[in-house]
Amino acid sequence: MYEAATAHPAGESTVSRLAATASRLGYAGLVVRNSRDSVVPGTFDSLKRYADAVESEFGVDVVRSVELEDDRGQLRTTVRDLRDSYTIVAVSGGSPERNRLALETPEVDVLTEPMTGQGDVNHILARAAAENGVRFEFDFGPALRKTGGERVQALRGLRKLREMVEYYDAPFVCSVRAESHLELRAPRDVAALGAEIGFDAEQVKEGFAEWGGLVERNRELMDEAFVAPGVRRGKPEGAFRDDPEEGGCEE
Amino acid sequence: MKHLPKHLRPRWRYLAVRIESRPDAGLTRGAFQRELWYSAANLLGDPGSADADLRVFSFAFKDGTGEAVVRVRRGEVERARAALACVADVDGAPVAASVIGVSGTVRACEEKYMRGPPEACDEKRVVFRDADTRALFRDALRDVRSDGRWTGATSLDTE
Repeated sequence: MYEAATAHPAGESTVSRLAATASRLGYAGLVVRNSRDSVVPGTFDSLKRYADAVESEFGVDVVRSVELEDDRGQLRTTVRDLRDSYTIVAVSGGSPERNRLALETPEVDVLTEPMTGQGDVNHILARAAAENGVRFEFDFGPALRKTGGERVQALRGLRKLREMVEYYDAPFVCSVRAESHLELRAPRDVAALGAEIGFDAEQVKEGFAEWGGLVERNRELMDEAFVAPGVRRGKPEGAFRDDPEEGGCEE
Repeated sequence: MKHLPKHLRPRWRYLAVRIESRPDAGLTRGAFQRELWYSAANLLGDPGSADADLRVFSFAFKDGTGEAVVRVRRGEVERARAALACVADVDGAPVAASVIGVSGTVRACEEKYMRGPPEACDEKRVVFRDADTRALFRDALRDVRSDGRWTGATSLDTE
């Protein structure tokens, strides 16, 4: 199971600290959803090196992701520009226009916090999500951390979104939108909360596992050897002749 | 009052809970218990909260980390888990409480899951994000204090 969180400087904990806590809570990976600012400390020269160090130290797979908040006019261009550089491209919802644009762009992986602010979903958007494979995000953050009216609104939003997702069989992910290691929660604890507010506990766990599925699929697509589904570029011709078992086109 | 006969006594489960907060948080048993009751009442409602009957038994907290035993009625463990997950801050300090195990007796709970009082942490100067600041060390974890705010980091982020 994977979780997506905001790291320092936008959040209050660094990637490695989030990973340390995520590892203890039973997550296999961490999607760093910062908006294009650098999360790499001065001691490392690239995110790749930093992610490798974090993985060997804490056993958590660190995934490069971006959460876009661009205006309507630029959003599609930005998504296409960034698609090849980030494993997961998410669009932050929160307005009807951005929700719709994100769900109608198949290059987008996840529409995050679709119900916050003015954001809303309806049958047309849910159908578009199912057709384009754009995941809705169930944001359990306000349900965990807010109280009173704000929490009631968030719970109402979660319920509406859940009804749409279930009816149209739209894909979804779950997250608590942690901004520090103290906001992360174990999948089992979130599932228990989900069960209290009308979700199926298994559904919540599937939502966490879905991040992992997305990461695996996108890494495969971004791999240099990938040509088309089921077709991979093999080794050079010499290697092919020496060992017919390897190389060439694999099914 | 006279003890209830054994078959009428309530059955309990004991949750081993790991608590984490900022190093300067002065978390007490009373404050944690109060916040847990609020959280249960807000999430489960008064009837649900009364059913779960959450009570903090042993409680130890020092330098931003601690553990507690929380008693809950048998059959209400998942609801207790949800209420514990909803404890987000105590007296203004962010708090994370997670269940690490469940037992049928306090003793089994303490023997199996409790690790005793946490080690004291060291305070040292570190370079974090090109700035020289103070940080509290516990194993590989670092809590960096800069501009009046805490930042969670590890040995990979500091020099």
